[in-house]
Amino acid sequence: MRSTRTTSTRYIAGVIVKYVLLCTALLLFIGPLVWLLSTMMKTKAETYKMPPTLLPESITFESFERLFAVQPLMLQWIENSLIVSILVVIGAVISSSLVAYGFARFKTNYASRLFPLVLMTLMIPPSIMMIPSYVLFTKLGWIDTWLPLIVPSWLGGAYYIFLFRQFFLTIPQELDEATYLDGGNRWTVYFRVIMPLSKPIIITTIIFAFVNSWLDFLGPFLYIKDSQLFTLSVGLQLLIGQTSQDFPALAAGAFISIIPIAILYFFAQRYIVEGVVLTGSKG
Amino acid sequence: MKGLRKYDTLLFFLFIAPWIIGFITFFLIPFGTSVFYAFTDARLPGAVTYQFVGLDNFVEMTNDSIFLKSLFNTLYFVVFGVPVVTIGMLLLALLLNMNIKGIALFRTFYYLPTLVPIVATVIIWRLVFNSEFGILNAALGSIGISKIDWLGGEHTIKPVIILLQVWISGSGVLIFLAALKNVPRHLYEAVEIDGAGKVRSFFSITLPMISPSILFVVIIQTMYNFQLFTESLLLSRGGPNYASYTFVYSIYKSTFTDLKFSMAMSQSIFLFILIAVVTWILMKISNRVVYYEGDK
Repeated sequence: MRSTRTTSTRYIAGVIVKYVLLCTALLLFIGPLVWLLSTMMKTKAETYKMPPTLLPESITFESFERLFAVQPLMLQWIENSLIVSILVVIGAVISSSLVAYGFARFKTNYASRLFPLVLMTLMIPPSIMMIPSYVLFTKLGWIDTWLPLIVPSWLGGAYYIFLFRQFFLTIPQELDEATYLDGGNRWTVYFRVIMPLSKPIIITTIIFAFVNSWLDFLGPFLYIKDSQLFTLSVGLQLLIGQTSQDFPALAAGAFISIIPIAILYFFAQRYIVEGVVLTGSKG
Repeated sequence: MKGLRKYDTLLFFLFIAPWIIGFITFFLIPFGTSVFYAFTDARLPGAVTYQFVGLDNFVEMTNDSIFLKSLFNTLYFVVFGVPVVTIGMLLLALLLNMNIKGIALFRTFYYLPTLVPIVATVIIWRLVFNSEFGILNAALGSIGISKIDWLGGEHTIKPVIILLQVWISGSGVLIFLAALKNVPRHLYEAVEIDGAGKVRSFFSITLPMISPSILFVVIIQTMYNFQLFTESLLLSRGGPNYASYTFVYSIYKSTFTDLKFSMAMSQSIFLFILIAVVTWILMKISNRVVYYEGDK
């Protein structure tokens, strides 16, 4: 009797220690986000108060009014980011799945020789390509357009090609052969057999491409100088310079840039987690 | 039959045509021409007049004290940042791997910072680390520690940037978490019967079993730290006194501020070789310590 009591006390103590550890770590990770929300709902004067108030004295959303007054382009930037990200998503799904289908289903020596090249491009550090790409886009006259952000995704992203190919390889070849017997060709197989069975990987690619495009800073920062054409991330960078002392307005700007991704995450967590584990890339 | 196979090969190239076009235009051509320019003195991209200068650019960069400082800073981030961030990720993964009620909710929240756009992350860090009005100094003040100028201090800015990497380390945590879940339970039961405690079983079972993931994360983190730029650009403009000035920052400055395009390319190639060599060394070392199941 006595011994069971000590084990159960021990057990409960263990559980408590676990929760304390988890909650401490959680505080470190969520704390800054909570501080962002709290700052966003304060008045400008309150942010200068010492010691700082953990929660706003009275909740106000003036910060958003000031944000849009200081930077009337905010809405334009949100729209730009959405357009760019959606076009990137469409390109990534269509082109990467076509290319991956080629690599997964054609029995030619070229397929096995060229695929390592696809993987090789994944291993090239992106910063090595930063200046060469900039030069190329200058020569093409693409600076100050969205083309450098969108066109590469329409020409097959190596990550997505890899993901699609791995998935296609799990689809039984017999299905293809049955389609050929019914008089179908390569295109029929791609459209009628492969793609309808690939919904999970299509969704993963949609989410990944959207998130990556939305999070991209360096691309738009290097290639776009016209503030009308800024994506939200580059616009926010401009905002830091303009309103460095208006903490609530800055917080409101940051908050707006987080919302779409946060919503997506809560609805599509499973796919994001799978995608990260499969590719190791940041979602 | 032969004609049919030829037709099929043609069809194959048709399917992969987007990638071939992209590979040639966005990789081969720009990379090739840039390597060429690395050995010239061209000041602007696509300059009409330029001379071959051989390895002059490489010699010149090693004489540039600010470039050397950026090299030192980058190595600092690799040598200190990679282990700190990797161990941080592993500890978090262990924490999130605990069998406890509500753990799924915890996991959901830990990943959120990773999904915050970098500029928003920087805004948040400015709010937290602000020396006058930041919450961190206020918290430290309440336990009697005087104000620290986190973002403006030469000795604090690098640790702050490493800490930022831990904050957005969700992807690495996920990779470790997946690896931990794949460790067969019977191995733990076996050492438990042998009387091994939690710590022993971690070092003799868990670590070897997840070593491939550790290698993967270390390589990704090493490449990331060699290329660190955006964080120091947005957080501190490379300062104070070049304390967060990184290698890629040098490349950026050579191109856009100094208009020394050839120099930027020489620096890029230098970085490329450095990353390749370090990754190769990591792979070599890991051949001795990484355990692959199925290896005999």
